[in-house]
Amino acid sequence: MTYALALEGVTKRFGSVTAVDNISFAIPPGHIYGFLGPNGAGKTTTIRMIMSIIYPDEGRIDILGQSNAEAVKDRLGYLPEEKGLYKKMKAGELLTYFGRLKGMDGALAKERARELLERYGLGEWQDKRCEALSKGMGQKVQILGTLIHDPELVILDEPFSGLDPVNIELMRDLITDMKKEGRTVIFSTHIMAQAEQICDSILLVHKGRKIIDGTLSEVKATAGSGVLVDYDGDGSLLKHLPGVRRVNDSGKQAELLLEDDGDPQRILAALVGKLTIRRFDIRDASLHEIFVKAVGGQSDA
Amino acid sequence: MRNKSLLVAQREYMENLRTKTFWIGIFFMPVIIVLAIAVPIWLERTKDARKYAVIDHTDWLAQAVEERATLPDVKKVLRMAIENTVHQEESAADLPKVLREFAAGAAAFLEAQAGEDTPEATLAVLDEDLGRKFMEASAELISGLSDPENKAFDLSKLPGGDQALKEIIVLREALRDWWRSLPPEEAKQYGEQLNKSRYVRVDVDTSGSDVSDVRDRLNKLVAEEKLFAYFEIGPDPLAGNEGFRYVSNNLTDDELREWFERHATEEVRERRLAEENIPEEVAEHIQAPIRFDKKKLSETGEEEEVATEDTLRQWAPVVLVYILWIAIFSITQMLLTNTIEEKSNRILEVLLSSVSPLQLMTGKIAGIALTGLTMVVSWVISFLLLVNFVPKLMNEKMPFDLNVIARDPGLLTSFIVYFLLGYLFFAALLVGIGSVCNSIKEANNLMMPVTVVLMLPLLSMIPIAKDPNGELAVFLSYVPPFTPFVMMNRAAGPPTTTEYVVTTILLLVSISVVFWAAAKVFRIGILMTGKPPTPMEILRWIRAPVGLVPTRKEP
Repeated sequence: MTYALALEGVTKRFGSVTAVDNISFAIPPGHIYGFLGPNGAGKTTTIRMIMSIIYPDEGRIDILGQSNAEAVKDRLGYLPEEKGLYKKMKAGELLTYFGRLKGMDGALAKERARELLERYGLGEWQDKRCEALSKGMGQKVQILGTLIHDPELVILDEPFSGLDPVNIELMRDLITDMKKEGRTVIFSTHIMAQAEQICDSILLVHKGRKIIDGTLSEVKATAGSGVLVDYDGDGSLLKHLPGVRRVNDSGKQAELLLEDDGDPQRILAALVGKLTIRRFDIRDASLHEIFVKAVGGQSDA
Repeated sequence: MRNKSLLVAQREYMENLRTKTFWIGIFFMPVIIVLAIAVPIWLERTKDARKYAVIDHTDWLAQAVEERATLPDVKKVLRMAIENTVHQEESAADLPKVLREFAAGAAAFLEAQAGEDTPEATLAVLDEDLGRKFMEASAELISGLSDPENKAFDLSKLPGGDQALKEIIVLREALRDWWRSLPPEEAKQYGEQLNKSRYVRVDVDTSGSDVSDVRDRLNKLVAEEKLFAYFEIGPDPLAGNEGFRYVSNNLTDDELREWFERHATEEVRERRLAEENIPEEVAEHIQAPIRFDKKKLSETGEEEEVATEDTLRQWAPVVLVYILWIAIFSITQMLLTNTIEEKSNRILEVLLSSVSPLQLMTGKIAGIALTGLTMVVSWVISFLLLVNFVPKLMNEKMPFDLNVIARDPGLLTSFIVYFLLGYLFFAALLVGIGSVCNSIKEANNLMMPVTVVLMLPLLSMIPIAKDPNGELAVFLSYVPPFTPFVMMNRAAGPPTTTEYVVTTILLLVSISVVFWAAAKVFRIGILMTGKPPTPMEILRWIRAPVGLVPTRKEP
């Protein structure tokens, strides 16, 4: 099977700091791939190396069958972490410009820009300058800019950062649409819950090193199962429940990680009458838990 | 590959067309040109006549000054009338009858002297020795400074001279009366800078009363600004300056006093000579100054007359250097702010997923070059149009023919070529600086050395224009950052072909070097945030091979 993207032993140092340390992974085509880790884990550096904006000190990158992204630039869509627009340009013009930079014919790029803006509810903004767009709309235009040339592989660096819940929803829809259209999507985030909702596979990095990677279910299987409880009352008794290995208590909601032989029914029984239970949800351990477990609680996220 | 730079350039250009800065730049030069031409004309027109009074203890000197002052006026008016008549301009019909009659006679006389039967040939006679003497004699007769019996210049010996002389003698009284009775305000329409319209003597009653009363009265008028100044002429000018006073509240404008002194000196000198019984011819002979005939060498090495246009051509490069400097400075500044804006805008990284840093940089530089070129070409065009149009609109002739600049294609061509070369050099430098800075403020610090370097061509502008092939000029031509300015400056020299070739090659080589270095700094700089790098760091980036950059800690 050929991969859309494969990294092998990629290392990048900045002076005495190793930003990315011997990372290897491979992404099959058509996947939504989550690139997870706390701030400063090396996500952006890795993505910039994938895009050939900077070059690795060691290791190999194989992207769409090429060793250098320069050769396949026109088949890639890229949204960097720091996102900007030309304020004085009209939204439609900007998208057309991005399309033409990717080698599209002018008329075609214009047509496709119009189509994309209409489809994502920005039709009336086509002839408005970008400075008039709200932040959410601006971000939408930016991400449409990565799609204008119908790329095979889309790389989004922190696409959710700075968005309100409505726009997070929209962004999620956009990403799932990309998958439906057959594109491979890689996105980075430091918020685990976002990845959990839409990723097929994930890669977890910390301090430049790979912690774990694989499909979502594979990764989750490594951490056992757990229970999510929404409650009112004194949560301190949660820690002393039978069959519970660890508790991530947020005050109104707690994630209980079970021992291998832990029984959710017994836990529920133990809680009844002591706390007001609003929800009792048996499920796999969250990515957050997997992450915390993997790095031994030294996350600074 | 090339196509993408072109796209970047195109976008850059289109966006610049939408900025206010661009349009301000486009209209800046025409406005300056219009002002530069119109303001002096307008100032001259609105300049108030200087009113003065004279307390004359001699009874003759003030009168003589006035008469002498009419001489250049009359010459100017006569010449204007002759020119209009010879060219058969419509305005000739509006002249007073006496003036028309004089001009017709003079034109016939001049035509008879001219070799060819063209208006130009006829008027050329006026600038010859013969023509000058004819005008002098006419003006002296008309202003009353000499009479027909005193024939300093015998016109009658020349073909048609007899007739011309007769006509002048017939007309002179009428002309003199016309000129004397003409109000000073109306005199303006007959010529520029006429004494009659500039200096008006106000009659003050000085008879009978005590001199100190008269002084008090005049002092009061000066204090009330009803008089610009008054003169008091001492009782015996031939003996010395005793009793000569000049009273005015304006200490800066000395024109009136100098003008009066000049004419008074002439009169007094003549009287002193007469007193000593020195014949007029001897006096003239003694006083005749030494004048050198100014010549220059043509390209073939022959001697040629020096025209005012030549002087203009000598100085035109200075103006062009100054404009060149403004153009290069403002356009590269535009590139700098633009780069920093794009960097702080965070759009650069998006672009870098589609184009390489080198393509991006080349595109930006080319786009702004196009913007600058549009501006400069529009300046050149508006200059050519306005130089002819504005004076015509104001119904005025230019004191000198600025079209000389337009007629020398080498001057404007080298202006555009040096604009491009100079721009490329400084553009590469500034785009490199812009790429490592996050704000204009940071950029200004790094810009300091560049600005200091750029000041030099401004400072050396005048010395180089005076000595275009001197050591300083030649030396600076070979220093690439200065080459465009200095070579433009030396255009009147002109430099030798070898100099042109060698300095251009040197400049092109250094442009490539600066480009290569800027490209390396640019590809690292644009992705960098935080503190700008030290010069040592930048040097390291330039030396590092392309594939291995960047090697800077990310914040």
